[in-house]
Amino acid sequence: MIESKNNAANQRALEKRTPVWTAMGEVVTSFFKGLNVRRFYHGVGKKKFFEFLLFAVFLLFFYGPLMNTFMLAFANIYQFPDVVPREFGFQWWDFVLSQNTLVESIATSFLLAAGTTVVSLIVCLPAAYALARFDFKGKKLFMFSFLLSNAFPKIGLYTAMGIIFYRFNLMGTIPGVVIVHLINSLLFMIWLPAGAFRNVHSQQEEAARDAGASPFQTFVKITLPLAAPGIAVASMYTFLGSLEEAQGTLLVGFPEINTMATSMYGVILDYPATAGAVFALILIIPSLVVVLLFRKYLVPSSIGKSLTGK
Amino acid sequence: MSSQKLKKWTPYLLTAPSLLVVVLFVIYPILNSVFRSFQNKETGGFTLEHYQYFLTDPLQQSNILYTLKIVLWTVLITLVFSYLLALYLRFSGSRLSKWMGMLTLLPRFIPGLVAVYAVILVIRDSGVINRLGMLVGQEWQLGWMFNEKGIILMNIWFNIPFSTLIIFASLSGIQQSIIESAKDVGASKWQIFRSMILPLSYKDALVAVTFTFMGNVGSFTTPFLMGGNSPKMLGIALYDQFNSYMDYERAAALSVLMFLICSLSAVVYIYSNLKEKEWEKRA
Repeated sequence: MIESKNNAANQRALEKRTPVWTAMGEVVTSFFKGLNVRRFYHGVGKKKFFEFLLFAVFLLFFYGPLMNTFMLAFANIYQFPDVVPREFGFQWWDFVLSQNTLVESIATSFLLAAGTTVVSLIVCLPAAYALARFDFKGKKLFMFSFLLSNAFPKIGLYTAMGIIFYRFNLMGTIPGVVIVHLINSLLFMIWLPAGAFRNVHSQQEEAARDAGASPFQTFVKITLPLAAPGIAVASMYTFLGSLEEAQGTLLVGFPEINTMATSMYGVILDYPATAGAVFALILIIPSLVVVLLFRKYLVPSSIGKSLTGK
Repeated sequence: MSSQKLKKWTPYLLTAPSLLVVVLFVIYPILNSVFRSFQNKETGGFTLEHYQYFLTDPLQQSNILYTLKIVLWTVLITLVFSYLLALYLRFSGSRLSKWMGMLTLLPRFIPGLVAVYAVILVIRDSGVINRLGMLVGQEWQLGWMFNEKGIILMNIWFNIPFSTLIIFASLSGIQQSIIESAKDVGASKWQIFRSMILPLSYKDALVAVTFTFMGNVGSFTTPFLMGGNSPKMLGIALYDQFNSYMDYERAAALSVLMFLICSLSAVVYIYSNLKEKEWEKRA
């Protein structure tokens, strides 16, 4: 009885679709009419056909959910049986941007990310240079201690840090959260610049020294600019990592420190899909901008190598 | 003399800041946790009660088994799909595979929470899949939310691109010429795979497995948003001990247990990492 009532409601909803939806439907059906699967199969050959099929499945699985979320960010009305929103617009952007706590969390996030990146550069670059240029006793042990911080479950490390933070009064403070983000950045921030420094020939440094430059001048004028791309990529990872870090911030900073990522937990649990989608899109924009800026450094095989720390 | 001395101390001075950070905020907390996990709350004396609790309490036992089940399924599915995908990306050479290579990189830059939310919007009962079902008059309620199916789905979303990249990097290191020469002497595709590609890439596949295993034992965000109330994954159980019950001794014991589960695979990771650091020798 209830079911049939539901079905009737669905039927009514289906019938009430606005022209946008009908137009979309027509486009889709005409697309599939034009794209006769069998004709396509014979046209491109078996190998190509399965390659396209694989590509389609890949896109649907990895990008389908994201595309759906982006679409919902520009929906005004998105009710149950509709796949495509009934009305598009910026209504939910107004809503999200009028929530003071959310807007503040965006500012906090960017400040934290910038601060973490600067601190991480100061702490890590000297060590990266030392790893690249010097052979010293305890080098293996030094590298081991950094791998250790990456080899154990993050949430266990955060609670361990949290227990210490209570003693140091770092819970719910900006420095406490920066330390958590800093720990996450150490490996990238030492390994990648170390590789970059290694690629600067020591003859170039020696030539500068011969011309009378001090060790510090040589580093700032010669070594640093030559290693800049590697350092930039590492900084980018740190910045983005800090922006999206959620669980450590939640554990150490909540409720005093609200970042975009920790607010997202609340948004997911409490807000309608359309508002959540807007906030998700805001959260993703920095990543997209950075990826566009750094796209020439993003080569699949080299990223894969850097992941294993080689 | 003094400049030589300075040269000897320079690397230690340069590494001091980062070492200090690691010692203060990683090694000290871990040691402190280990110590505290054996400590009685009232008397401060030595005890195994916190470990006993997690290993004998039926609820906690089911949490451990639930976590292992999810992680092992995730590792298995991820390994199979990412190895196949990496093989395709390395050996296809078509334009479509180049595109896919680039597209495999992107999910790494998607904030985890956004990805989880995007998938929830698709698979939940009022999600896209059920809405599509409605279009053809079907009820497609997956029932993947709030149980292990959704968590495993999300885990493989995160881990396939990541493992694929690691295995792909390894496969890219195999020179085309040795494969061509094997073909010239009449080796079949399967023989080339068995005797050349697999031996040259299994180590990195192992590293990918280790990463996947370690990363998912302690996962928090996915089970927090997609998991049910009971059983819980260990990451959530730990968060509860720390945040809701404020029982730091039990939290410490649970995190040590998670360390131990991970350390099995961490040994593999650290060993292969230190052993294969060739550039270090070249310096």
